[in-house]
Amino acid sequence: MNSMVSTLSSGSQAEASSRRGSRLLAAALSFAILYIGALAATELEAIPKALRIAIALLPVPAFAFFLVEWIRNIRGLDELERRVQLESLAVAFPLSVVLLMALGLIQSVTQLNPLDWSYRHVWPFLVAFYFFGLVLARRRYR
Amino acid sequence: MRNRLRVLRAERDWTQADLAEKLEVSRQTVNALETGKYDPSLPLAFRIAKLFGVTIEEIFRPEEEAVLSPEAESS
Repeated sequence: MNSMVSTLSSGSQAEASSRRGSRLLAAALSFAILYIGALAATELEAIPKALRIAIALLPVPAFAFFLVEWIRNIRGLDELERRVQLESLAVAFPLSVVLLMALGLIQSVTQLNPLDWSYRHVWPFLVAFYFFGLVLARRRYR
Repeated sequence: MRNRLRVLRAERDWTQADLAEKLEVSRQTVNALETGKYDPSLPLAFRIAKLFGVTIEEIFRPEEEAVLSPEAESS
């Protein structure tokens, strides 16, 4: 009886984990679609500036939704997976600081081309640093 | 930390996935525990001990202790 309850409980846990994963993926996709759409729309000069600013903010609620799902997902992880996430961030955060600091220092010497080094070009680096940290942490416990 | 998790699991003919399900952790976590790459928290160590019906000390042992008394490893 106990093992049956245990199997049912672990089965429902796997289902819950799968549900969380699906919701997280849906949230990530909706953010990505909105971001790419907003990126394209903000470059259309035919659209009035005020409207373009409103469009530029459209991905923010989608990201907030993604963030809620992300936190929910983290809370559902087991202790090793949580440690892996922590170590990923422990790598990503200092790398992000170094990147921003270096860009800031360079900018105090010379004007960086905003077509290459604006905020929208820099933030994907922070995501890349997170994934770099994730790979390092996963390898450590593999 | 050294542990007898792999031995205890094998004695029961469980796969890593079976043990992971019973402990409500991922299979990767079970693998990391067995290979000694990850030491469990106290609550997880208690869950493991309860599942196998032994004490925590019968499963986990400090590295230096395991090195000092290798004969205890085989018991």
